[in-house]
Amino acid sequence: MKRIGIIIALLFAVQWPAAAQDWDPGGALKKLSAKASKAIDVTLDQSMLQFAGAFLDSKDPDQAQAKKIISNMKGIYVHSFEFEKAGEYSEDDVTPLRAPLKEPLWSRIVNVRSKHEGQNVEVYFKKEDGKFTGLVVIATEPTELTFVDIIGPINPDDFRRLGGQFGIPKVEIDQDPAGKKGETK
Amino acid sequence: MNRLENELKKALERVEPPAGFAERVLARAARVGDEKPVRSRRWLELFGFGVTGMGGLRWAAACALCVVLAASGVIYERDMQRRRGEEAKDQVMLALRITGSKLQIAEQSLKELDSGGQPQQ
Repeated sequence: MKRIGIIIALLFAVQWPAAAQDWDPGGALKKLSAKASKAIDVTLDQSMLQFAGAFLDSKDPDQAQAKKIISNMKGIYVHSFEFEKAGEYSEDDVTPLRAPLKEPLWSRIVNVRSKHEGQNVEVYFKKEDGKFTGLVVIATEPTELTFVDIIGPINPDDFRRLGGQFGIPKVEIDQDPAGKKGETK
Repeated sequence: MNRLENELKKALERVEPPAGFAERVLARAARVGDEKPVRSRRWLELFGFGVTGMGGLRWAAACALCVVLAASGVIYERDMQRRRGEEAKDQVMLALRITGSKLQIAEQSLKELDSGGQPQQ
């Protein structure tokens, strides 16, 4: 009995760090999905990304760039919700999405809040051992909410080069996580 | 008439069959028609050495059917794989487009700030 207890304890010890790393916003997203009139869910883990990469055409500039970006990615998760009318979701629904994005692991490099149009965009980068290893975008509008979670080594230069492709801008990314460039809060 | 002639006449004399002979012959003929082929020949027929040769034709048809089914399976699997790949590719492109569009909004707002535009509080 004692041995079984030790084995279980060891299993938890092994599993716990992995669970802590793989942040799961599933509960918050489910709530939002239930309120939304339209939902887009893109869930691509590493194996799916590799599989998709084989079907991306290197001759097509967009697809070639996409192939390059996803080559080292561990996962891309995009959840976009549309709501019938404003006020169908609240800040309380968004807070759980933001909760794990804390320093020093995560840095918010962009936080645009537009009261006029009601558009808010927050961009977070995860930095480990001096390298960007994750990107989260939370974009909210009165009747729309988008949550993007990209896991894996991200080269800011790739995003800079994407200007004009996929509509991705040449975002200036500060290498220093302390410098929250563009924060306009 | 000599003795030999008498003996021949006696030997070739018409003899009436026993009662029910004709019925028994007809019944037996009917039974022979219904009898199944001899079991020991079945395996020969299977490999095309049957009396009629139909076994070989059936064997060839079965082989052809197996080949067609196997080929269909391979083609179907490849087609499914291609479809799944195309769907995954579309999902990657959709994910990057959505991400890009949101980053575009962020960048536009930053540009407005940099160009001295009114900060949108």
